[in-house]
Amino acid sequence: MILDLHTHSIKSDDGRAKVRNYCQWVRTRNIPIDGFVLTEHRQFDFESDYSGLASDFDLVILKGAEVETEYGHVLVYGVTEPLYETFDFGSIGLPLEEVIEHCNAHDAVAAPCHPGRPRVGMSAHLAEHGVPKGVRIVEIYNGGSRGEEDAVAAAMADELGYIGIGGSDSHIVSHIGRCATEFPEPVTTEAELVAALKSERFRAITTR
Amino acid sequence: MAESIPTVNAIADVEFGGELPAFTPDTSIDATRRFGQHVGWNTPRFTDHDGARKEGLPGAIVPGVMSQGFLGAMIHRWAPTAEIVTIDTVFRAPVLVDQPHKITGVVTDIDEDELTVEIDLTVTNEAGETRVFGTATAKLPS
Repeated sequence: MILDLHTHSIKSDDGRAKVRNYCQWVRTRNIPIDGFVLTEHRQFDFESDYSGLASDFDLVILKGAEVETEYGHVLVYGVTEPLYETFDFGSIGLPLEEVIEHCNAHDAVAAPCHPGRPRVGMSAHLAEHGVPKGVRIVEIYNGGSRGEEDAVAAAMADELGYIGIGGSDSHIVSHIGRCATEFPEPVTTEAELVAALKSERFRAITTR
Repeated sequence: MAESIPTVNAIADVEFGGELPAFTPDTSIDATRRFGQHVGWNTPRFTDHDGARKEGLPGAIVPGVMSQGFLGAMIHRWAPTAEIVTIDTVFRAPVLVDQPHKITGVVTDIDEDELTVEIDLTVTNEAGETRVFGTATAKLPS
């Protein structure tokens, strides 16, 4: 089961992709993923129902979020209304350790993304803030990475004992599926995704 | 002999997932200097590598609106009769002058009622890094 764990639609301020077009692209181009997670910036999209598209295109479409902390950007999986009420998803300066604590308390998972990127990645902030408590998973393959960013992320994960996921970070249709995460068992709901991530049985993959 | 480029002239010619002919923009310092002269931008960041480095940049950069011009030119090479309704770009990293770049485009939506197509556009450098991405909406004859 291969899921792109990091995508953006037109719901994000810099996203330009409609979810239907993602589905059409995956099927038309035979992109080797079974589904994707919409991780819109600084919000959780409670309104949209993509079950019809998922059924029409035989794809898994899940929802998460990408929030912003003092260590850079962080993906959150397993968002629920009670979790959403515990911190301000729209803030650009959330304390990472608190985000992780809230996620743990609400059966969600927080994973720093593109951690090798200057300014918005975790590794750039380790010297100033130290190693944060509670991180288990980081994104080691990001479809938008430039230069050595993925290598920096992988080296940091290796050094600190983190497990890696992959996601395309697509903002336009044709970038979906460049990186993804492979799970040994089917993942069809947000709860199953959280359980699969907590099991720590997965591997990051890249097609770039 | 002039290069022959496949073109489309009507919306019926367009397929979802169809690729526009790839475009290699002229990112030379001469080109950005000419552009600077025409639009009145003679700032070193676009026209002089040493001057740009003094501003903290890795070298001279291609102005954003010049990159958008390349995107428009690419669409019109593919569809000469198209009316470009919008070009919407996200600049992720500078397009560096005197470094080879490639622009690719693919059709990602077709609205036959409105006679419009949506095109994904990506500017990559030689390392394959995305420097600019965006979408364009173009109107085509029926």
